[in-house]
Amino acid sequence: MGLVEVGLLLLSFVVPLSAVLIGLPPFLRFLTRKGWTSSDAHKSTQTKVPEPAGPMLFVAALAGEFVAAVGFSSVVPVAVILGAGVAFAIGLADDLYVLGGKTKPLLLLLAGVAFVSLVVIVPDLYQPVITFPILGDTASHFTIYTALAVVAFPVVSNAFNMMDAFNGEISWFTLLTSLALLAGISLHAAFASGFSLARVGAVLPLVAVTTGFLLFNRYPSKAFDGDSGSLMFGAMFAGLALTGGVEIAAIIAIVPAILNSFYTLSSVRGFVERRRMQSRPTYMGSDGLLYPSTEAGAPNTLVRLVLLAGALSEKDLVKSLMYLTLVACLFSVAISVLTWAI
Amino acid sequence: MKLAPLSGIEAVAFLLIIAETYLFFNFVVPVGSIPHSPIDYTGLALLKLALILALVAVWFVVMIGLTRVYVRAKVRNAPRPSS
Repeated sequence: MGLVEVGLLLLSFVVPLSAVLIGLPPFLRFLTRKGWTSSDAHKSTQTKVPEPAGPMLFVAALAGEFVAAVGFSSVVPVAVILGAGVAFAIGLADDLYVLGGKTKPLLLLLAGVAFVSLVVIVPDLYQPVITFPILGDTASHFTIYTALAVVAFPVVSNAFNMMDAFNGEISWFTLLTSLALLAGISLHAAFASGFSLARVGAVLPLVAVTTGFLLFNRYPSKAFDGDSGSLMFGAMFAGLALTGGVEIAAIIAIVPAILNSFYTLSSVRGFVERRRMQSRPTYMGSDGLLYPSTEAGAPNTLVRLVLLAGALSEKDLVKSLMYLTLVACLFSVAISVLTWAI
Repeated sequence: MKLAPLSGIEAVAFLLIIAETYLFFNFVVPVGSIPHSPIDYTGLALLKLALILALVAVWFVVMIGLTRVYVRAKVRNAPRPSS
């Protein structure tokens, strides 16, 4: 790797990070002026937080992927931001008009379709094989891989969306999982011949945007990303995992989100918009701590399972969730090492 | 330490995901490519679908089972506000 490539990778990180740090404060003031704020549900006093910050986060990610695409002369960052852009637009529609529980996942299939449609122009956008640690590659299965790639977008985007309930949860979660993804794709680039650095460059805007956003979203939050932000993060993650050829490591990293979605969907028996859930999985006590619901019909979210081990403040709850995410990310990195370096 | 049981469930979840993805891509997807297979096209499609559903069902059953055991063990001593 030459000095030019290092500079381009650095730019792919610095540009989106600067865009968030410089652009988000005035955008949040604009949202507040317009009255686009949401109640922070887990506070004892009524607190209003500007939402959605998603549009500014998308602009920053777009700037980063543009740098990576032009710098490395690659279509990979274009495909990633195309899928993310469709998910962002659906999320923004949900932020403004509230889409139905079933409409959103169905519409998100369009993000997957937009992403895979670029394979017509760039046949090597993704390799239709899965590489397992120690066991190696499967045979090439283009049709089934492409179908699964389309489905991956709504699944992963919704999983990220469901991890967006507490101060700092989505930003910490996306940062940790995108770092695991970066480790996997970097190892792939380092040990596999003919693997383009553009695929590493395409991950850096996601890492940069979440690093910048964390400063505003961590407890106590000064900004919420809205569905436009969380769905975009999920779609970017899915696109990067597919183009980076690190599908297994990516799935492992987001297991807490997959479990959270699975628990919610299996206990409420289907796609139900969270604002329309009949009973809540948790509640806030008069002491300001969060408690698990002991009702028989309460949905079994990951948060409820964590709280069954002990009541927690919002800040400590997010720490516990991030502990579970960190465990998954460490396993993910170990899988990447076993897959590419050994 | 309080989160050790949940970390255990998490570990089982991703070990099953790896194993089932391997089985899916190496044994279920190539089923149709067996030369001189006595099963016709529709039969093969149905067989593949049944195998996929079986893999998904195994993951669901194991996860639901582990979660039920965890919830049952914890819910009796679930924390409640003192007042």
